[in-house]
Parts: sequence; C-alpha cells; structure tokens
Amino acid sequence: MSFPMNSVDNVTVAKSPAEVADRIRSVFGQGAVLEVRERKAGKDDTVGHHDIWAKVERDRFLDFVDTLAEFDFPQFHIISGNDDGGVVTLYYHFTLFQVAGRRNRIGVAVAVPVDKKDLVMPSLFSRIPGVEYSERETREMFGVDFDGLPNKALVFLPEEWDESIKPWRRDEAGPSANDVRELS
Amino acid sequence: MLKLEKYLEILPKSLWVTTCNSGSCNGCDIEIVATISPRYDIERLGMKLVGTPRHADVLIVTGPVTKFMKEKLLRIYNQMPDPKAVVVVGNCGASGDVFYKSYNLEGPVDRIIPVDVFVHGCPPRPEAIIEGVAKAVLKLERLRGDLQKAGEGQ
Amino acid sequence: MEKKYKVPIGPVHVGLKEPITAWLDLEGEKIVGATVRPGAIHRGIEFMARDRNPIQVIYLSERICGICSFSHVIAFLRAVEDAASVPVPPRAQYIRSLVLELERLHSHMLWAGVACYTIGFDSAFHLGMALREKVMDVLEVLSGNRVNYGVATVGGVRWDVTPELAKTVKQMVKYYKQEFAPFYDVVTADPIAKARLRDVGVLTYEEAIRYSAVGPTARASGVRCDLRESSPYEAYGDIGVRAVVPQDYYGKAYGDVFDRFLVRVHEVYQSLDIIDKIMAGLPEGDIMWEKNLNKVLAFLKKAEGTGWASIEAPRGDDTHVVHLKGGDENVTWWKVRAPTYANAVSWPLMFRNNELADAPLIINSIDPCISCMERMLATDSSTGARKVVTRAELLEKCREKTRRLMQNGGR
Repeated sequence: MSFPMNSVDNVTVAKSPAEVADRIRSVFGQGAVLEVRERKAGKDDTVGHHDIWAKVERDRFLDFVDTLAEFDFPQFHIISGNDDGGVVTLYYHFTLFQVAGRRNRIGVAVAVPVDKKDLVMPSLFSRIPGVEYSERETREMFGVDFDGLPNKALVFLPEEWDESIKPWRRDEAGPSANDVRELS
Repeated sequence: MLKLEKYLEILPKSLWVTTCNSGSCNGCDIEIVATISPRYDIERLGMKLVGTPRHADVLIVTGPVTKFMKEKLLRIYNQMPDPKAVVVVGNCGASGDVFYKSYNLEGPVDRIIPVDVFVHGCPPRPEAIIEGVAKAVLKLERLRGDLQKAGEGQ
Repeated sequence: MEKKYKVPIGPVHVGLKEPITAWLDLEGEKIVGATVRPGAIHRGIEFMARDRNPIQVIYLSERICGICSFSHVIAFLRAVEDAASVPVPPRAQYIRSLVLELERLHSHMLWAGVACYTIGFDSAFHLGMALREKVMDVLEVLSGNRVNYGVATVGGVRWDVTPELAKTVKQMVKYYKQEFAPFYDVVTADPIAKARLRDVGVLTYEEAIRYSAVGPTARASGVRCDLRESSPYEAYGDIGVRAVVPQDYYGKAYGDVFDRFLVRVHEVYQSLDIIDKIMAGLPEGDIMWEKNLNKVLAFLKKAEGTGWASIEAPRGDDTHVVHLKGGDENVTWWKVRAPTYANAVSWPLMFRNNELADAPLIINSIDPCISCMERMLATDSSTGARKVVTRAELLEKCREKTRRLMQNGGR
C-alpha cells in the first residue's frame, strides 16, 4: 500500500462510492467515514456526483492518502480548516476518478485535527507537488508547520508581515483589533 | 456636441495614460481595457495607454491598496513628471467598497497619494471612465497653465 | 563564461496590472529556472467573511475576480446549499448555467484577444474586445450591469429570463458562430501562429496530473477532466458535455501554448451549443426556493454543517468550502481556491528550456486572473551590473520573435 511515485495516471473506470467508503472503513475503522453525500442536478434531480466526508488522525494521514491512491491518483483541490479552540482542524479536499466519465467523480474531504501543542503535519509534497501553495498558505495563516515541504516562504502575505500574527487563528496568535483596519 | 470634446479642443498634445492595479479584482481594469476597445475608443479623443509612468500625464489607479502595493504605488506616482493628475476608478479605491475591514489593506488611495478625480461604480461603465479622465484633463490643463505662468514670471 | 541573470518578470496584459512576481533565472536568453511569488492582491477576503451573513458574502464573493465573478458566486452558493441542504428549483438551475456559459464566452474571448496581442497580432486584440461587447450587452439585458451581476441568491436566482432576453441570446449565438472565425483560423489555418506557439511552455501529461493542474491548462496536456462532465451540476445534469482535448482534433496532445489556444477556441463553440440547449430546454417554474429573504436568513441561521462545491470556471476548477454553525447568523469560515492558484504552481515547469521572449506568452497561456508588475530588472550576478528593461521592451521582444519567424517563412 504505497503511493505511486514514479508512474502517474488517472484511471478511466470508476469504482462506486460505497466501495471506496468500505475500503476506508476497513483500514481506518467504522468511524472514519462520517457521511457519503449525493449532489443532485437537473430537472429531474438526477445524481450529479458523490462526496465522501471522512476523518482520520494525523499519524495515519499519509496512510489515508496512500489508500486513496489505490483507486486513482488523487487530484488535490485545497486545504481548508478552522481554529477550533485546542486543535486546528484541517480539511484536505481530493477528487478521485476525474477522467472516468460522466457522473463518476468522487470527492473526498478528510478532516485531520492537529493539536495546538504540536502544530506539525506531514507534507504531501513528495507525493503531490501541487500542494505547495496550499501548505505554504496553511503555514502562514494557521501556523501549522509542514514536515518535508522544501519551500516554506510566505506566499500571500507581504514580506514585511510580522510572522507571529497568524490571520486565521482565533486565539492570541490571531490578529488583534489594532492589526485590522477599517477603510471607511 | 458632447461637452467632453470641448475640453479636448485645448489640448496641445495627446494625453498619455498609465494604469496601476493596487489590489483590485480586475473588473475595473477590464473596463479600462474596454475603453480602449473599438466600441468606446478613448484613442479617438487623443489618449494613449502607455506602459511606463515616466512618460505619462495621467495615472489611473484601481483597487484598495494592499500592503504589498503601497510602496510600488508611491514609487509609480513619484516617477511621473509634473503636471500630473490621478484618477481613481472604482469604489474600492474611493472607500474600500466591500473590502472595508481587513488586516492587509492600506487604502483608500487618497491616503497614499493625492487624488484628483474619483470615478464611482463597481465597476464604472466605460463612458463614466472617459468622463472621469476628461475631468482630469481639465485639471491638468489648469496645472500646466499655472506652471507656464510661473516659468515666465522668473 | 555564462552569466546568470535574475529577472523579475513583467506584465503580460496591456491593461491589467495585477502583480505577481516571477523571478526567472536566465543563462543568456534561455530560462533555466523560475520562482513565483504571488500575494500582491491579497485582501483578506476569507477573513472578512467572518462577520457577514451568507447573503452579504455573495456580494463579497462577486468581487474576488472581475472576469470570473459569477463562477465564484455559484461555487459559494453551492457550498452553502450543500451545508444547509437548500434545494434549487430547475428553472433557476438553468438560468445559473446560462450565465455561467455567457461568462465563459467573454472570458475566453478576452484571453484569445490578449494572447494574439502578446504575439503581435494587434488587430486580433481589438477584434476580440469588440466581439466581447455583444456578450456584455446580453448580460446587461439580464442583470443590469456588465460585471458583478448580483443575479444569484441562496436557493435560486433573482432575475428571470424574459422573451426579449431569449431573442437577444439567439441573435448573439448566431453572430458568434460567424464572427469568431478569425480566431478559429489562428488555430487551424495560420502557419505563423503554429510555428510561434508550438512547443512553447510545455506541460506534460504526467506533470499536469501530479501538479494538480486544472481547466484548459490540464486539458491541453491531454487530461480529459471537466467538472461539467465528471460531476454535473445545475443544468449540466441534463446537458451532456465532453471535455475538449487536443488529441480529439489533432491526434496528439503536446501540452504547449498552441494546444491551450486550441482548447479555448473549441470551448467557445461548445459553449454556444450549450447555450442553445439551455434556452431550448428551459423549464417553467419558480426561480427561487424561498422568496422572502428573512425566512432564508432564519433558515441559514439554524443550519449546521460544512459544504464543499467545485465548479468549472473559465480557468478551471473553482473550489469553495463553507462552514455554517447553528445559531450563528454569520459564516463561520470560508475557503476559496481560485483556479489560477492551482495552475500557477506549474509555471516553473512551463518556463524550462524556453527563451526570455516567450515568457509573457507562457505566463499568459494559463489565463491568469492576475498579471504582473511594471518593470523588470535584469541583474548580472557576476559583475553586479544592473540593466533596467521596461515592460514595453519585454513585450516587444515577444512580438519581435514572431516577426523573425514570419521572415523565415514560418520555419
């Protein structure tokens, strides 16, 4: 169960969302899949695609991505997330079966809680180089360090930004009232 | 006859315009490009879009000024030779519009450089942009006349 | 001895000066490396959404980008409708798809004009801008504004399709099928364009997948990905869309600038067909799930959940994620990933082994919703001498190369 590092291709025959969800449950436990959502479209409310919402601990996160890669090379969208008090919850959004034909795409959103006392995540860069900007952004906005990311420079904030202020944090690391300006 | 064309009878040379995007969504910039396009065609009135501020008479600024762009906007303004006029196109340069509260914005534009004309709208129509630039022309001509008188007085 | 220069690269659009800094490492005229530094237009929009309710955030999301503004609105609304389980009536779905396709038309036409300007076909630029005006007229008839329409809302749309609009749309489609031909000729009949654009800025199939490229950039490299096909949303549930890939037209996908041009030109024709099908199949019914705005806000206040939506914007896959908390009127958090940021990661790969003169063309080929800075500074690292190259000079280099090619007969 390892990630395809040398060969990269998208599969053209899709598996069903139930199959993917079952595989995730069998490796990571029954509670790993929170929900399989159907999105409908059109006049007759036909199913457009499915989204799987999952949850995994940080230490098994790379195994999770490797499990997804058993089905198809995961296409990466974005890392979203929130400051939830004692943890920073990161949501990774992937897509499977993007070239497998009409209505066959499966979106996978996996929540990874990261404890604030140990704000480190393993980087996906060696597997999917396309995560570079997202990981740099999560680093500058939340303060989560990515182990294995080669370029850790600021990506959206200006050069002279005070790096102790993390804009999306809601605790004392976040911007104070003095850091936020009202233009009018 | 449009009042606009009356202003332009007094121009001794065609007006060169440069733009600076200080963090806008590009909506106003596209409308500025549409102003050059054949339908609205600001070039028939003798105005030309140039790339460098060193040759320009009018500076068009869009966007609420982000921290990154503040120095660059100042630099562009200082590189322009006198007499010069500044036109701010769009609501976000005038007051921030929807971006009224942020950790990364230094705007509105008149907090950074002096502004002569504000063109409101989100984005303003090309016709409104032409009117705004024409008003800047009037001011420019007055400035040029003052400079000339000052030169002759010496 | 080879001198290495570090060149911060300049703008590629005559009017758009949205800065992104790209540092190119040059050896002579050849580009050997590139680093990209975005962030000049970071306004903190996702932060601003924290004290606004979803209806107010619609107007904020429109202004993320001026060219693909409606795509951001629809992606945001679909994410809210996912989080709160709000249904959208069929007529509203069709109207949303109509405006999305109209936006795709004007975005691709703008791009085609600018790409031609970058290689020296000035008249094509003015033609592209003039052609675009017809779509802007249609959008103005529908919504009252040329950009930032304010048409969509949670659970539907606010403006309906009138018979007058239907007639205008039909005329527009007919007009474009004839008048867009010059751009079609660029990719089919013009040897200079082919010589100039072939094998410039190549992104291979494997790289497009591994670097998560999206939209026409990925399709030009041969990846058959199109969210309207793989996960149909709104009216595409009824209308079939096939991803446009170069191997269907030329047998092979090179992944260069020519292929990106080809994909976009064919997508314009595809959009015209889709618009015809939308207008023909427009269902009757309501255009809003709930007309009373206060009831909508009260419903959203009680809603709890995280929603995710990805749609096919003109530049690729636009993703929005929204979290709503029960009892709180405001949006708890919001994440936007515009398609350009997914494609910008691939810029350093595309710059390899190309000349400096091709740099504006390569930057522009992914159709960035961002442009670059004013000036360029070329530093000779061995002697420390600095040479200032203006924006005009860089663009002129790009256009000059085309003239050289023309003199050599397109070889």
